[in-house]
Amino acid sequence: MPVRLATAYATLMRACGLVAGVTLAVITLLVCTDVVGRNLGLVLFTWVNEVTEYALPVATLAAAPWLMWRNQHVRLDVLGALLPPRAQRQVDRVASALGLLVSLALVWYALRMLLDSRDAGSLVMKGLVFPEWWLYLPVPPCFALLALECARRVWRPVGLSDLSAAEAAHTQDTAPRAAP
Amino acid sequence: MTWWQSLLGLFGLLSLLLLVGLPAGFAFLAINLVGAIVFLGGEAGLMQVVRNGIDSLTNFSLTPIPFFILMGEVLFHTGLAMKAIDAFDRAIRGVPGRLAVVAIVAGTVFSAISGSTVATTALLGGLLLPEMLKRGYHPRMAMGPIIAIGGVDMLVPPSALTVLLGSLAGISISGLLIAGVVPGFLMAAMFLGWIIWTARRRPDWAPSFEREELHGWARWRPLVVNVTPLVLIFLLVIVAMSAGWATPTESAALGALSTVLVCLVYRSLSWRSLVKAIAGTTAISGVILFIILGATTFSQILSFSGATNGLVGMVQQAALPTWTVLGGMIAILLFLGCFVDQVSMMLITLPFFMPLVQHFGWDPLWFGVLYLICMQMGLLTPPFGLLLFTMRSVAPREIPTREIFASVMPYLLMGLLMIGLVLVFPPVATALPGWLLGK
Repeated sequence: MPVRLATAYATLMRACGLVAGVTLAVITLLVCTDVVGRNLGLVLFTWVNEVTEYALPVATLAAAPWLMWRNQHVRLDVLGALLPPRAQRQVDRVASALGLLVSLALVWYALRMLLDSRDAGSLVMKGLVFPEWWLYLPVPPCFALLALECARRVWRPVGLSDLSAAEAAHTQDTAPRAAP
Repeated sequence: MTWWQSLLGLFGLLSLLLLVGLPAGFAFLAINLVGAIVFLGGEAGLMQVVRNGIDSLTNFSLTPIPFFILMGEVLFHTGLAMKAIDAFDRAIRGVPGRLAVVAIVAGTVFSAISGSTVATTALLGGLLLPEMLKRGYHPRMAMGPIIAIGGVDMLVPPSALTVLLGSLAGISISGLLIAGVVPGFLMAAMFLGWIIWTARRRPDWAPSFEREELHGWARWRPLVVNVTPLVLIFLLVIVAMSAGWATPTESAALGALSTVLVCLVYRSLSWRSLVKAIAGTTAISGVILFIILGATTFSQILSFSGATNGLVGMVQQAALPTWTVLGGMIAILLFLGCFVDQVSMMLITLPFFMPLVQHFGWDPLWFGVLYLICMQMGLLTPPFGLLLFTMRSVAPREIPTREIFASVMPYLLMGLLMIGLVLVFPPVATALPGWLLGK
C-alpha cells in the first residue's frame, strides 16, 4: 500500500476510535451532571437517559473498525496454535473473507432497512421524537469500513498476535489485547 | 427440520466460524444472517438482524460497562494504582510469601475500583512479577496469585461483565453487583490462606526478605493517603446504588467521575494519561458491545428454530433431579470457559439456562453468582483463559507457558470450592443484597 494511502487509512481508522472515545466521555459527563443535579433537586436534562441509550450503539459501531484495524476483537486462536505459519495465514485469509461477506451483507441490508424506514416515515416516540432511520445511520458506514479492513486482510492476512504496524508503536505500553 | 437438527446446525456452524479465527462478534452476526434466511423469513429477517442489532445496544442498563472500565483504566494509566500497591508493600510486614500477599491484598482493593480484569492482571503482573522473580520466588508462586486475583475482579463490583450478565439474563443488576462482594472477598481470603500455607511449607518458593524498615506513621501514611480514596470510591458506588440515590448506570458514572477527580487532586492526572484511559476504555467496551450486537437476533433464532423450547422441554420432561441439572449447567460453563470468551458464553447459554432457572424456581441472584464464579474460572482455565494470555504478555520469555498454566491450578480448585460453598450455603451470595436492597 503506498505510504500516503496507508497514512490516510490509518487517520480514518483513528478518527473512528476518536468518535467512539469522545462519545463515551460525553455520556459519562452527561450522566454525572444529571444524577448530581437531580439529587440536588435541580431538573437539568430530562433527556439524558435516552440520549445515553442512543449513544451506546454510535460508540460501539464507531469503535468496531478501529478495533478491527488494531486487531483487538476477541478471536479464538485454536488453529493458530496448531498450524504452521503458512497454513495459519491461509486460515486467516478465510476468516477475513468470511468477515468481508458478513460486512457487505450488513451494509446492504442496513441501507435497505434505513431507506424503508425513511420512506415509511416511522418515528421514534419516547421522550424525544425523531425519525427512526436516524438510529440506523451509523450501521452502513461502520460495516463498510469493516468490509474494507477485512478486504485488506484477505490481501494481507493478520494473525492474532500481530498488531497493525502503524499502531504497534503507540500501543506497546498498554494492555496487550482488549477484553473484559 | 427438528429442533435438535437446528441446534446442532447452529452451534456446529458457530464453532466452525470461531475455530477458523473469525472474531466472536462476526461469528454471531454470520450465524444471525444464516439463521435469518432459514428461520426468520429471509429478506425480512435479514433486515430484522440490523434492527435487532441496534435494539440490543440501545439499552440504558448496558451503559455502566464503559463507566466501570473507565474507573480501572484511569487508575491504571495515571499511576495512582501503582502508588496504592506501593502503600501495601510498605505496610505488609513479616508474612510468609509477603509479595504474593501484597498482590492479593492490592489486587482485591484494585478490583473494588476497576471493572476490568485484564487491567488488574496487567498492572500487578507488570509491577510485582519482576520484583518477585528477582527475589527468588518460584514462578508459580509469583504468577498464580496475580492471575487469580485478576479473575476475582469480575466478582467484586464494579464489574463490566456482571452488568452484562444482569442485562442479558434479566437479573437485577444492582442486586448482582452487590451479591458478588462476599464471594469475591471470600475467594481473596482463601487465596491468602493458600499462599501463606504454601510459603510456610515451601520457604524456597517465596524466600523471605525485608525491604527498608519503616516505623510508625512513615509505614502507614502511604496506605492512608493513597488507599483511602480508592475505598471511598468503592463505597460511593455501592452506597449510591443501595440507598436508591442512583441507578447502577448513574452510580457507575459517579464512580468514573470520582476516580478522575481523585487523580486530579493527587496531581496524577495528565492530558496524556486521560486520553490513554479513554482509548483503553473505548477498546475494551467496544470489544464487549460489538459481540452484544448479535445477541437479540441470536436468541430469537434459537427460539424460532425450536432449539430453545426443544432443549429446555427435554430437560424438563426428563424430570432430572435439580442438582443434576445444576451440575450439568456448571459443567457446561466450565467447559466453555476453557475455549470461548465470557460474552460469547453468555450469549450461547443464557437462552437455555434462564428458562430452566425459572422452571426450577431457583433464586436468579444465587444462580447469577454461580454463573459469575464459573465465568471467573473461565478467565483462568487453559488453554484459552484470557488472563493466562495477559500474564504471558507480561511474564519473561524464559518462563514456559505450561508453567503459567500450572500456576493457576490451586486457584481453580479454590474456585470449585467456592462454587460448592455457594451451592450448599446460598446466603453467601444472597444475604448482602437481601440486606442492602431487600432482594
